[in-house]
Amino acid sequence: MSVRTWLEERTPLVAVQEAIDHKSVPRHRYSAFYFLGGMTLFFFGVQVVTGALLLLYYRPSASEAYESVSFIMTSVPFGWLVRSIHAWSANLMIGAAFAHLFSVIYLHAYRKPREVTWLSGVLVFFIVFAFGFSGYLLPWNELAFFATRVGTNMPAVLPGIGDHLVYFMRGGRDVTGATLTRFFGVHVAILPALTTALLAIHIALIQYHGMSVSPSEEGRVERTGKPGPSMPFVPHFMLRELFGWTVALALLAGLSAFLPWELGRKANVFASAPAGIRPEWYFLWMFQALKYAPATFFGMSGELLVLVPVNIGVLALILLPFLDPNTARSRRIIKVLATIALIFMVAMTALALRGGTA
Amino acid sequence: MTIRRGIAAVSWLWLVVASARPLAQAPASPAPQDLFRDDVHAKAGITCTACHTAGGPPYAPIARAAVAPLCATCHSNAEYMKRFSPQVRVDEYQQYLTSTHGKQMSSGNTLVATCSDCHGAHGIRAVADTRSPVAAMNVAATCARCHSDHVRMARFGHEDNPPEDWKASVHAAALLTRGDTSAPTCSTCHGGHGAAPPGITSVALVCSQCHVREAELFAKSPKKPIFDLLGQGECVTCHGNHKILKPSDSLIGLNEPALCATCHNDQMKGVAVITAMQTGLSDLTTRIDRANAVLDRAARAGMLVDDGRLALRDAREDQILARVSVHAFASTPISATLTKGIADATKAESIGNAALADLQYRRNGLAVATLLILGFLVTLWVKIRRLPSDGGL
Repeated sequence: MSVRTWLEERTPLVAVQEAIDHKSVPRHRYSAFYFLGGMTLFFFGVQVVTGALLLLYYRPSASEAYESVSFIMTSVPFGWLVRSIHAWSANLMIGAAFAHLFSVIYLHAYRKPREVTWLSGVLVFFIVFAFGFSGYLLPWNELAFFATRVGTNMPAVLPGIGDHLVYFMRGGRDVTGATLTRFFGVHVAILPALTTALLAIHIALIQYHGMSVSPSEEGRVERTGKPGPSMPFVPHFMLRELFGWTVALALLAGLSAFLPWELGRKANVFASAPAGIRPEWYFLWMFQALKYAPATFFGMSGELLVLVPVNIGVLALILLPFLDPNTARSRRIIKVLATIALIFMVAMTALALRGGTA
Repeated sequence: MTIRRGIAAVSWLWLVVASARPLAQAPASPAPQDLFRDDVHAKAGITCTACHTAGGPPYAPIARAAVAPLCATCHSNAEYMKRFSPQVRVDEYQQYLTSTHGKQMSSGNTLVATCSDCHGAHGIRAVADTRSPVAAMNVAATCARCHSDHVRMARFGHEDNPPEDWKASVHAAALLTRGDTSAPTCSTCHGGHGAAPPGITSVALVCSQCHVREAELFAKSPKKPIFDLLGQGECVTCHGNHKILKPSDSLIGLNEPALCATCHNDQMKGVAVITAMQTGLSDLTTRIDRANAVLDRAARAGMLVDDGRLALRDAREDQILARVSVHAFASTPISATLTKGIADATKAESIGNAALADLQYRRNGLAVATLLILGFLVTLWVKIRRLPSDGGL
């Protein structure tokens, strides 16, 4: 008895094989967007592998974190490569996730019956930010320490629960070793568990529903009465995806060799904040917007003028499939709003970068 | 219409004159009673009559020669003064009597400084108060009120301008620019109440209050008996007194403008030591600069060179120690310090070079990896193009 036969008797291998054989990917002018989700998944895979390797040497305490990362960078064979790839891949993953999210919005891929696919995806999107925020502190360097101090203080403006939230995030009144340990636990246990569960749902639903086609393509199929062209998932689409992943791997290697991720100076909790502290690029737009907020507004913190609309936007993003009645007009409005949001974020990020130090 | 114009013109004229009047008046100095409100004595509950015992308001000014004895009635009374501060000193008047100011005043020359000239009369603040004219940051400016006044100082036969010289010194830079209040100002070397120029024999003792190691080395050096024999001031011979500039390695050598060249030439004893010091210090500086450049290059390329920075810091500390060791005017202990400094600088440089070599190794590795990846991509592309019924995306 061959291994295959043995497996076929005990697992749904035949059914899976048939599903793969029959799975196809629509081919149209927007087909390139289908690769963005896979690209995000690839970077997530790189994060899992390099993160697991870093865990072998990283020590999550205020007295040892910086030294252990320094040890990884200087003394562990290829430690510099693993750490640099982890840091670069994190940033590229966020970039890919952004592109994937906006492509889904522009193609209206969230519409019925893919509401749950959207919900699982958008939750993973926010978890990716939480990964970035929690991981930024782990090297326990100066910039990360002060940026985390600013970042974790933001919920303080919320009336009533603000201070409790800050205390919960920091594990105390200020950013200390307790915060580092807390962030480490969240970064390597809670967030990966949540991501794995949500990604499993997300990918399973994509297989279940198949690739979404934009309303304009759907209309064209309806008008012609003929199904649109498609390509088999295996090997046609899979090989193309492998091509993209290999290019991404080459990019990661190049960035890590030519622009190794800096470690900076060890955090000193008693020192004053250095000039030029600012968050990672994906939070820059909000950082810049907060700089334009007035100190107070009708007796409330001026930061609420930014934080409240941002939170409303986040809520609207999560509930997008339920807010969009899926008419031609509503789809146009969604596109315009998404473009405005995109322009706002790009403009604020550009202003923050042009402004140099904070 | 003409009447209206006339009224308007008169009104404008009055406004211009009225608004110009305050500018024409000289600013009035605050009245003594106003100044006294913020005085350290007023805060201690002392009133005008403690000093102004004769007559009533307005009180007559106190004679300049009587000011110091008047202040001393309280400030030399230990029993009385410890009520206000248990550690307060009470020897100011005794000190003042030993000072040039006090001696001149005792001989009847009232042009010299007395207590109120430096501390003020009615708005006296504690020395620790940064607004006080005798606070560390303000002492030089207070002394300069008289000692930079050429007309006043000419009467005493002084032509130089010590406060102005001091302003150009390394000490003034430390105090005024860096805000280091431990840096010496006029009173640190001359004394405050007992202000007098330190004599040639005691100037080294004044400098050694801070420059302990240099003084120790010099005291044991072969230069000490020679300077004593010639009656030369020790530190000031090379460094000057008020305008003490930041010393540099160029002070050592047998050619001008090196200071050694003032007394030594290449035929005299000590040539070997001077040459060894000069070349050793120069070599160490060169190696430190080179190591720093290599470490900077590696750091700019994103390499972590903390160990190199630590070694470089050790080398810089050795450099400071070597410069201090110059004051032994002998080949020991400077040669040992220079040897250690050069070893530390060499270690720093080799760490930087190793980082740069590692960087090159990474780039070579990347080139190989890129070639392999490119080969794989080409293979993949060919495979994709050969797939059946594939019209591309």
